[in-house]
Amino acid sequence: MKKTVIYSQKLEKKFTSYKKEPGLLGSLKSLFVRNYITKKAVKDFNLDIKQGEIIGLLGPNGAGKTTLMKMFTGIVVPSEGTLKILGYTPSERDRLFRKKIALVMGQKSQLWWDIPAMDSFLLLQRFYEIEESQFQKRIKTMSELLDVDDLLHIHVRKLSLGERMKMELMASLIHSPEIIFLDEPTIGLDLISQENIRNFIKEYHQKNKCTIIVTSHYMADVQALCERLVLIFDGEKTFDGPLSKFETILGKEKNVTFNFSSPQDPTLDLWSSFEAQWDSHKIQVDLRIPEDKLRSVALNIIKDFPVTEFNTEKMPIERVMKTLMKNPQIVKQLNGNNGPHELNGRN
Amino acid sequence: MKNLKQTIFYYLKVYEKFVSTSISVGVSFRTSFTLLLLMDLFFYFSTLLSVNFIYDHIQMIGPWDKNHLLFFISFMLGIDHLHMTLVSESFWELSHSIRTGDLDFALIKPANSVFSVFFRYFRPSTIINIFVVWTFIIYYGIQVKLEPLSWVLLPFLMFLGFFLFVVIEFNIAASMFWLKEGLGINFLRMQLQQLARWPNFIYASIARKFLTVCLPILLVGSGPIHFLYDYGKWPLILSMVAASIVFLFILKFVWRSALRHYNSASS
Repeated sequence: MKKTVIYSQKLEKKFTSYKKEPGLLGSLKSLFVRNYITKKAVKDFNLDIKQGEIIGLLGPNGAGKTTLMKMFTGIVVPSEGTLKILGYTPSERDRLFRKKIALVMGQKSQLWWDIPAMDSFLLLQRFYEIEESQFQKRIKTMSELLDVDDLLHIHVRKLSLGERMKMELMASLIHSPEIIFLDEPTIGLDLISQENIRNFIKEYHQKNKCTIIVTSHYMADVQALCERLVLIFDGEKTFDGPLSKFETILGKEKNVTFNFSSPQDPTLDLWSSFEAQWDSHKIQVDLRIPEDKLRSVALNIIKDFPVTEFNTEKMPIERVMKTLMKNPQIVKQLNGNNGPHELNGRN
Repeated sequence: MKNLKQTIFYYLKVYEKFVSTSISVGVSFRTSFTLLLLMDLFFYFSTLLSVNFIYDHIQMIGPWDKNHLLFFISFMLGIDHLHMTLVSESFWELSHSIRTGDLDFALIKPANSVFSVFFRYFRPSTIINIFVVWTFIIYYGIQVKLEPLSWVLLPFLMFLGFFLFVVIEFNIAASMFWLKEGLGINFLRMQLQQLARWPNFIYASIARKFLTVCLPILLVGSGPIHFLYDYGKWPLILSMVAASIVFLFILKFVWRSALRHYNSASS
């Protein structure tokens, strides 16, 4: 039985801000009178993560993912509830606790912009009291894995975004943390850089057996890295379970793409039954077909239309997310219909 | 005792890297490096020349003649030099890092956050001027005929004055966590520095009492210099030590409360 490394119970975080009316008058008004509003960024959040797990934390912008990460790392103090990370209360900011965690933020940098990354690593070596031989070994291993050994002595401001993110990862992992919090580590990167980062995280996790929490907007990150997914909407946990279960949320439907040798008429009744999405030339269509009808529908289309190519795939996770973002009640309904233990087994 | 030694050693080792990384950054912008160095020199000379000019027209200010006051001014320039070299830049960075959320990374480092926040930026261009500042101090120290013991005590008293002033400033700067915008707070700090740069006897009774007892910035320079001129004024040094301890104690609570208030910027 693996031990729990992250435990939260009824965790809550409130933020207070004020509404400012637009324009100069609004600015002057706000000097004297302010309309304060309190928003719960995280509500009643329960979580139990075991040692060695790699978890994806998903949700739209403003859902509370980053706030959660900041509470987990002790940067932000929770308003209510219990939070234990490796047995420590993060907000107490115990020095040993801070030595055991790492945080990577895709949109912020901990490296000094005007010096080479290696100089920042040397500073981190002092902060985390890493022995010289260990330090050199880790730098060598990680720089080889990330293919950045020739960039260590280049000023950070001269590096590309992808190269910089690799350096950020190295900076965060240099002290071999037990828990790694990755907040959108691939944001803004091109597809190849995204894949490189993912592969590195995957390999690092396999080698070091550490616990990793990833938030991302890219479903590919979550699909490639995580087996377990936690979905957060408007500060509330709406799903917590295996990724495979999440993908079946919207039913047993297949996504099928047909390519035709000539433009087709998209107004036919046949297409409207399967939520057809046409390309601009009307020679490619994406259909959502129930699994039990897949064979017959596909055969008919191949027989009646000039099909040159077709392929099927599971419901892409992007589409699942888009649908859930538009209709968050779907998960709630499913939780209600199937019982919290089926979909929300860890609640 | 062993723990304390280890802790001091740890912070010195981290600080060594703060210094070396700051030097790396500082020297990579050569024009800015040279300008800062020249501007500091300009400030030192203009301050001393202003006092010199005043004494061309009068004989005494309070109980002090020209050399006494110039030694005081040189002593304050020494404290200012330490301040500019060791902590000044961090105050300006703090409000920016609170607003942008860059502070997050400083807070998760396994070191005291006051240290990580206020000692992170070392200004290498200013350190070079140490020879100029100490030339003034030594020259005017000879003019006022400092006793041998005073020469020995001088660096320690300067450090004590610097320490008291920055502890007061740390408390003031912590308010940036609530106010977010630090420009006003930084100007307040600078005004307090201005007030401390003049001897306590030039202030009216109420202002002097307030700035000696409640917000003891007048002790920073006037305390040590009065003591060096007259050892009978040792209670001033005792007051400085007591004030440092009190403000350090207050800082402990203010800082903890400030960190609890920190919300970090959205990403």
